[in-house]
Amino acid sequence: MTGGVVPTVELRGVERTYESGEADEVRALRGVDLSLPPGEVVSIEGPSGCGKTSLLNLLGLLDAPTRGEVRWDGRSVGGRTDRERARLRLERVGFIFQRFYLLPTLTARENVELPMRALGTPRADRQARASALLAEVGLAGRERAFPHQLSGGEEQRVAVARALANQPGLLLADEPTGELDSENTEAILALLGRVQEERKATLVLVTHNPAVAGRARRHLTMRDGRVVGDARGA
Amino acid sequence: MRLWGGHGRLRHQRLQTILTVAALATAVALPVVLLSVGGGVSQHELNDLENAGYQIVISAAGLHGVANAHALTDRILAIPSVTAASPVLSVAIDVFLGSGAAVPSLAEGVIPDQFTPTLGPTESGLFPAHLPLGDPTDELHYANGTYAGPANYSILVSSPFAQAYSLSVGQSVKLAPTANDSQAVAYNITGIFGVPLGTLGEVGAFALLLPLSDLQVMTGYAHGPGVPVPDAADTLEVAVTGAVATNPTALNQVRNEIAALVPYYGVSTLSQEAEQLQTAASVLTGFYLALSSVGLTVGLVFLALVMMRRVESDRRSIGVRRALGLPARSIVGRVLLQSVVVAGLGAVIGVVAGILLVEGLATWATGAVQEAAQLAIFVPLTLAELTGAVLVLSLLAGGSAARAALRLDLAEALR
Ligand SMILES: Nc1ncnc2c1ncn2[C@@H]1O[C@H](COP(=O)(O)OP(=O)(O)OP(=O)(O)O)[C@@H](O)[C@H]1O
Ligand SMILES: [Mg+2]
Repeated sequence: MTGGVVPTVELRGVERTYESGEADEVRALRGVDLSLPPGEVVSIEGPSGCGKTSLLNLLGLLDAPTRGEVRWDGRSVGGRTDRERARLRLERVGFIFQRFYLLPTLTARENVELPMRALGTPRADRQARASALLAEVGLAGRERAFPHQLSGGEEQRVAVARALANQPGLLLADEPTGELDSENTEAILALLGRVQEERKATLVLVTHNPAVAGRARRHLTMRDGRVVGDARGA
Repeated sequence: MRLWGGHGRLRHQRLQTILTVAALATAVALPVVLLSVGGGVSQHELNDLENAGYQIVISAAGLHGVANAHALTDRILAIPSVTAASPVLSVAIDVFLGSGAAVPSLAEGVIPDQFTPTLGPTESGLFPAHLPLGDPTDELHYANGTYAGPANYSILVSSPFAQAYSLSVGQSVKLAPTANDSQAVAYNITGIFGVPLGTLGEVGAFALLLPLSDLQVMTGYAHGPGVPVPDAADTLEVAVTGAVATNPTALNQVRNEIAALVPYYGVSTLSQEAEQLQTAASVLTGFYLALSSVGLTVGLVFLALVMMRRVESDRRSIGVRRALGLPARSIVGRVLLQSVVVAGLGAVIGVVAGILLVEGLATWATGAVQEAAQLAIFVPLTLAELTGAVLVLSLLAGGSAARAALRLDLAEALR
């Protein structure tokens, strides 16, 4: 497995407005300019509802901006088809969702295998890799458990393992340690850090936790749909 | 692959699935019953035609509408390739047995030595080789239309009739065209004939065979004042030589010759009759399918709605799959697979239920329903086509749901 190439991601004047049906709309992002060179480790902090998840969705090609432009490797992704964007997500993006979003009908290992299966990884390879990833997040022996049989923290760790399955170049982690104790937080951070090092991947961490933010070398602060702080340094 | 998911699924979803399967099964069972029974009955009629010993039928409008049957028989027999011309008069009459009670039955008047050659291979075994009905030509009693000759007073009784009333050869029964004992005429039972199973209704199975002239006189369809049709018959069945029978052009020529003799009657060859039967059968089949398509449409609309709802309640999982970048075809494939599985289940259950229903009717129903059910034929190809059509249409039903799955707004589905 080669893994996804690390993209350069840029946002230019990006706005995202959600239409909630009856005329009232939410302006979740109100003009964001951002450039993420390959290999950067970035933390995003900000109060609830300031648009962090919305921003991650745009970076990871899960959503399209209402206004402005998202560029990957200098090319606007607005012009790409759904199919191309799905392919990019599958091969190059690892998403750790804020609410984990494991598939309830699949076991822990099947959840981790899912992205590899879509890429056509041979069964034996993907099973071995899924087991190895689960072991790395401390879930050896829980491969056959269904999500409803797992604790919140365990689910979150399965979600991390799944995000790493296809060796993504862009890792987007939305509160990846929100449900974890300090020991597991450390372990997960170490794993993410190691993967990032190895692949020189770009890692974006949305967090309220100073320990997590401390891993980043660049710190973004958001407020009301805008990036209001962009600081460098550990 | 777990299609339905064991946990966290709402019970009502399972109920919806069961209802959809039931609706589709009902919708499929209907055409299975209609097509198999309808097809069986027409096939049976066709077989009858193919097994007949005659090739041309003369018929007339109105009840007992062929007039001058004896004379016509002679004129047709004069045509070179004709080997037999058998007029048949069928009249419902009452039979009075010793007890005095009237038993309704069907009497057929025939000319004995013309009737026998027109029997098909399956029927001929059921009758005595030379019908023991007195004068084989029926000319003596008929006596050139005077009916002044000696009557035969002999009659053959069908075996179910003989069995039901313990009748045997040598016994005498009284017959009358009305339920009036006083007008009844006594006949001698001179023979018993078999009835092929499942071809005649209950009354039809109680059948009698007697000389044409005897029946004409008894029922008033002979001569004399007030007789609408003198020397009447219902049909005249004509047999030709083997060479002509197997040569459509020659057969048609004979038909035309006969038609020229009787311009006001219908004269048709059995292949024409078979064609007409087949046309009628295919019209019926079309009608059955149209009828069934109503049920199938309802079932498939139901399926489409249920699949839509399923996509709706699965929007989170579908959203996650799409967010991970799984290709559209895998998402569409799952929805279509679910749809096809539900429809396939419904179709299979429907086919089995339809077959069981027909078998049940054949076993436990009575009368005409039972007879028709016993004739049913299950054509595997038809059943497969029906199932296939349901499956193809279920792809359509699933397709609309699959499209909805692909159009899901991800930011919305993953909130
Ligand atoms: N699909 C949506 N439809 C309508 N409104 C939305 C949608 N997604 C987000 N919002 C709104 O947009 C705003 C930003 O949401 P977002 O999820 O990006 O915030 P966040 O910074 O991730 O918050 P949190 O820290 O609580 O996760 C919020 O007001 C939210 O209610
Ligand atoms: Mg969020």
